[in-house]
Amino acid sequence: MKDELNNLKNNALGQIIEAHDVSSLEDLRISYLGRNGKINELTKEFKNLEITERKEVGILLNDVKKTIEEAILNKLKELKVLTNKEWFDYTIPGKKIELGHIHPISYAIFDISNIFEHIGFSRVSYPEVEWDWYAFGALNFPRSHPARDDWETFFVDAKPHPKYGEMLLTPHTSSGQIREMERVKTPPIRMINIAKCYRRQSDVSHYPMFHQFEGLVVDEGINITHLKGTLDYFARSFYGPDIKTRIRPYHFQFTEPSFEVDFSCTICKGVGCKLCKEGWLEMGGAGMVHPNVMKACNIDPKKYSGFAFGWGVERVLMMKPGLNIPDLRQLYSTDIRYLKQF
Amino acid sequence: MDIIISDNWLRDFLITKATPYEISKYVSLCGPSIEKIKKVEGDTLYYVEVTTNRVDCVGVYGFAREVAAILPRFGIPARLKEFNPKISKKTVGNLPFIIEPDHKLVKRTIGVVLTNIKNQKTPKWMQKRLIESGVRSLNAIVDITNYVMLETGHPSHAFDYDLIKHKKFVIRESKKGEALTTFDGKRYELQGGDIVFDDGDGEIIDLPGIMGTKNSVVGSDTKRVFFFIDNNEPSKIRNTSMRYGIRTVAATINEKGVDAELGMKALLRGIELYQTICGANISSKIYDDYPNPYKSKKITTDISFISKSLGVDISKKDISKYLTSLGFDPKWNNDVISVTIPSFRSEDINIPEDLIEEIARLYGYHNLPSTLMRGEIPYQISNSLYEFEWKIKNILKALGAIEVYTLSLVPKNFNNDSPSLKLKNPLGIESKFLRNNLSNSLSEIVRQNSGNYEKLFFYEIANVYLPKNDNLPEEKRIIGTVFDGYRFSEIKGLLETLFLNELHIKIEFIKRKTNQNIDIVSNNTMLGTLLETDDDITTIEFELKILHKLYKEFPAFKPIPKYPPQIEDLTIKVPVGLEIGKIIKSIKESSEFISDIELHDIYNNRFTFRIGYQNPKDNLTDKEIDVIRKKIFDKLAADYNIQNEV
Repeated sequence: MKDELNNLKNNALGQIIEAHDVSSLEDLRISYLGRNGKINELTKEFKNLEITERKEVGILLNDVKKTIEEAILNKLKELKVLTNKEWFDYTIPGKKIELGHIHPISYAIFDISNIFEHIGFSRVSYPEVEWDWYAFGALNFPRSHPARDDWETFFVDAKPHPKYGEMLLTPHTSSGQIREMERVKTPPIRMINIAKCYRRQSDVSHYPMFHQFEGLVVDEGINITHLKGTLDYFARSFYGPDIKTRIRPYHFQFTEPSFEVDFSCTICKGVGCKLCKEGWLEMGGAGMVHPNVMKACNIDPKKYSGFAFGWGVERVLMMKPGLNIPDLRQLYSTDIRYLKQF
Repeated sequence: MDIIISDNWLRDFLITKATPYEISKYVSLCGPSIEKIKKVEGDTLYYVEVTTNRVDCVGVYGFAREVAAILPRFGIPARLKEFNPKISKKTVGNLPFIIEPDHKLVKRTIGVVLTNIKNQKTPKWMQKRLIESGVRSLNAIVDITNYVMLETGHPSHAFDYDLIKHKKFVIRESKKGEALTTFDGKRYELQGGDIVFDDGDGEIIDLPGIMGTKNSVVGSDTKRVFFFIDNNEPSKIRNTSMRYGIRTVAATINEKGVDAELGMKALLRGIELYQTICGANISSKIYDDYPNPYKSKKITTDISFISKSLGVDISKKDISKYLTSLGFDPKWNNDVISVTIPSFRSEDINIPEDLIEEIARLYGYHNLPSTLMRGEIPYQISNSLYEFEWKIKNILKALGAIEVYTLSLVPKNFNNDSPSLKLKNPLGIESKFLRNNLSNSLSEIVRQNSGNYEKLFFYEIANVYLPKNDNLPEEKRIIGTVFDGYRFSEIKGLLETLFLNELHIKIEFIKRKTNQNIDIVSNNTMLGTLLETDDDITTIEFELKILHKLYKEFPAFKPIPKYPPQIEDLTIKVPVGLEIGKIIKSIKESSEFISDIELHDIYNNRFTFRIGYQNPKDNLTDKEIDVIRKKIFDKLAADYNIQNEV
């Protein structure tokens, strides 16, 4: 019987492989596995076997049955796949959905805000239209400083304030430092002021309106190392872990010492290219808050110290590798063909 | 200001083996920024950015001093030579001159007459250095004044002695309406308040510190020169220079305030050059009016302040070394340091923090560690308004809107009748006013994009500026939207999606009786009005704060109905002129079992409504639905005489 079973199996497998449609496969199934099928016929002859043989043959019979079942199932799958496989054109263009667009400046502001909020900075947005005191006076600018000229700063045609001076459009978010120190009064202070600024220049690469973000930290024991730490933290968060920063001597009225902040060039990664200076890009200014500024806000410079930095949102955005926007004027384009790219 | 320094010239005063590349690299880290270096024939040029507080670095000598202090910090020996012009004191003759200085206008005036000007040709080496530094070479007399300025950092001037009528120089302020002609032939009518030299008869013979005048200029005929060093009041120089647009190198240096102590050195150097190059003789006494010479000042601080400010410990020895190399004179008394400030840094160094900068930059900012703050995190103020604004931007993006940034400054006709502020010094009339609405800026953008779209939905979230008497204006944050090419139902649908679905604010569109405008209202709060321009552009503005107040983060959960609604389409012929809103209201009111009404289709004036019938307590039978349907048509017939066509 063992031989018969094996022959049966091989015949069955051979026929199954040859089967070319579902109905002939079904016929085979009935023929081998059906109620009156060949397997069951053989089963009837069990009673003719010795008791000792029955177990072994029983196992073999079950195996054969299983093998034939599996073979039929697999062949069925194969046949189904072949019949279901209609030809379709996968190269057909996809049907895209037309979403709207958020401006890259908004994304930059969102990212910058989050980066600083993560380390405990308070997000604020101080006035665009300010008094001279907040934009210059309290920031240690002498009366005759060029930035206070009417060639550089926009002045509003309105009655000056008896104490705070002329009304103007703030040329920098540094006015926010004064506002924040007045608001919080007692350190610790960690502020990120993101707002519009206005400067009286308009040429190929300048637009009279732009955004700046101003950071201010005031507390006991704040020194240059904390400024460096914060700059490194921002640079890594915004541009990635490989970025390097450095600070070099500079001059601002409201900080002492003052620094120019450079980041390693995001385009050539510090090797040196057309856009950067020997692998470094100028990002903006920073410095330790000048004691006169703190005094103007009634914060004791003997007890507290602080640092501040103020950079262009557009500037840090345009330095993102791959963005390719040539200058600030382009970033403010209102042409729909430009806006739709983002 | 940006200056160009010649490497050859620098090495007249700086002894070092450092290469120009090394100089530019290291000085930029600790001192003035060297933007680039350029190799030219026989020389290398440094392009240096000098900040306004470091006018002491503007001359070659001052720059050499910085370099000599910085290079040793990088292990490169460097030595600064002394500045010692050598002149012949022999005087030939004693020509007269009178100077009447005004000490409110000039800090120091030095003058001397030089005669026997033989050689008018500038030597090649001087020409080369001048041109490389960005200054034209004219003739030896003028070139020497420029050479002295570039080398010492103190501007100087030469008059043709014989052109000065009375040999008199009266220093005074100009009066309004006075005129002068500069040596390049340009005529200027003065506004008054400018520092000028008067020849005693009212004629202006110089615009000191800025540019010479034609009537006293030296030329090829000049035999006798009045060599003059004046140290002028910096803010007056700036005003005059900017007001008439005369931006000479001398003006940009003088407006920053030059150290008057340099004056005599500059004069002596000039005399040395006139003697050696032009064969000139000194022919007068040296006049030096300097009523208030520099009184040396001291600034005191202590080692703990220095360490605290830097965040690292530096030895007293090193601190002294750094300060001395920069020209300061430090003296320690235990932990207290008392530093004498040299004249050329006196304007810039006033408080201990200024000394910290000098010490720290020589120590090297690149040598300081980098650590984040470890102190207490301040109390966090709410940022929910910023989060709300970001949420709205994302919803609008999903609804197909494009965000745009437009200029806050607009022409007069962009502002509506509400009051607005204007600038005193705008760049032009197109940007003179602070806008009090966004709609006009946005409509204009739409027009500018004409031809590039079929449908357009722009928005901007920005401040508008509303004057408030004697205070700063209110900066109201507005969401401005503009539509073109959208049907009214589409605009309405977008707004309903935004307000009802996303912000969970219930809104209604209500037509105002007074002017037929359509308002968007929530309960009794006015949200916005649909405005339409003459060219069919629709704009709507919302105030961010008002929306934020009404905004709900989540709607109240409604349990899922046990018995789902049954949906039926009913087509109704609506008489022309009857508002659909009224039909929908009537249908809703006709039975309590109407759960939903949607306008599904419109054809001619047959409106197909998709109606949901629902009884929350049980399934509705067909018979019950028949009853409801009859109620609907009965009501429509009663209210509006509409018949069921079926």
